[in-house]
Amino acid sequence: MISFHPNFPDLQAFSAGNCEPAMALMISAHVDMCPQCQQDCIEIQAEMADELFTQRSSTPPLDSQYYAMLSKITDLPVSNTTAPEVINTSIELDGKFFELPRTLRRHVKNTGNWSRLVGKLWQAPVDLGDIGKANFMYMEKGGRVPEHTHKGTEMTLVVDGQYGDGIAKYDCGDFTIMNNTHNHLPHSEADDGCLVFTIVDQPLHFTAGIARLLNPFSHLFFK
Amino acid sequence: MLVGISLETKQINSVKPIECAEEMSEYLSIIARDRCKRSFSKIFSYFAPRLRSYALKQMGNEALAMELVQDTMSNVWQKSHLFNSEKGSPSTWIFTIARNIRFDMLRKQRNRKEDVCSDDLWPILCEQTPDANEVSLDHQVTMDEIGVLFESLPEKQKLVVEAIYIDGKSQQEVANELDIPLGTVKSRTRLALQRLKEMLKDND
Repeated sequence: MISFHPNFPDLQAFSAGNCEPAMALMISAHVDMCPQCQQDCIEIQAEMADELFTQRSSTPPLDSQYYAMLSKITDLPVSNTTAPEVINTSIELDGKFFELPRTLRRHVKNTGNWSRLVGKLWQAPVDLGDIGKANFMYMEKGGRVPEHTHKGTEMTLVVDGQYGDGIAKYDCGDFTIMNNTHNHLPHSEADDGCLVFTIVDQPLHFTAGIARLLNPFSHLFFK
Repeated sequence: MLVGISLETKQINSVKPIECAEEMSEYLSIIARDRCKRSFSKIFSYFAPRLRSYALKQMGNEALAMELVQDTMSNVWQKSHLFNSEKGSPSTWIFTIARNIRFDMLRKQRNRKEDVCSDDLWPILCEQTPDANEVSLDHQVTMDEIGVLFESLPEKQKLVVEAIYIDGKSQQEVANELDIPLGTVKSRTRLALQRLKEMLKDND
């Protein structure tokens, strides 16, 4: 069951077209999975549309700029509905297929190969083009990310399975934003592990134990 | 310029969208069915100028605002068959198209310099494998291995490295605590790193 949603101001900003593109992508994917937020967005957008399009004062008569635009538009062909682009609706890891929310499907073709990180943790980078970078992260059962905090923000959407992080437990569809006030240790005990989609805008900052030791040695990993 | 198409601006302007939703829905279905330019001109006359005020507020620039209006109305013209009056009003549908185009434009506007490479974001833990089949997973260094290698360091080096990299102390603090010269702390750190590097190489 989904318990973690975008907060209301973020949902409003998303509906109005006012939030950062990365945030818009995350919220859009969450909305695909969450009937409650979907309904909220429809209502917010209907309100905004009403407000925008119900202006008592009449607009000035169309000038030549609008006539030119109108004629340009009606010269356009109707979109070719016959051949919609075929896109993957799922991603695969180790023979397992994960069905993705609609918003994320168009990014499957720009998703790189899986790499194994420490322990039972897997990562596949996603090139979002103008938006930047994201990652699919997969935790096998018992997999964990070393305890860390964030210099910037980390947005995470659970695509499949469940995980916990010492703060709460997250289920499929849950959306969270973490920043430098959150210190957490994500791990999954779900039998089928957990797949998340995540965008971070600054490097993670490892806070505990042996992981901290790794920081200055990063060059050793890229021999 | 537009022969045979009259723009009944005033008439439509006086009607509130709540009341004209049905009428607009009807135009959209005629556009979808017949590609009727006259119906489109009615939709256009009503929505385009109002969209401009949204676009101006969002984009803060006349040229970009008109681009948003044009892209939105082009979508309305080309995708009118996707409008479903049971799912919402024409206003909401058109607003949502405008909102999506606004996001597209926002993305394109963004300065690429802001982008951070994902390699930087997951700096330490990532082992690059261009092709998963090429590199045996057994050969990858895991944190457990690092831990083991760390344990095998000479006691004196381990103490210094632990204090600096795990406890987060400065080299000077470590020197003071252990009552050894700063130079010794530095050399022990350097030697420990070199030794770890050698061990990782041998491990490969």
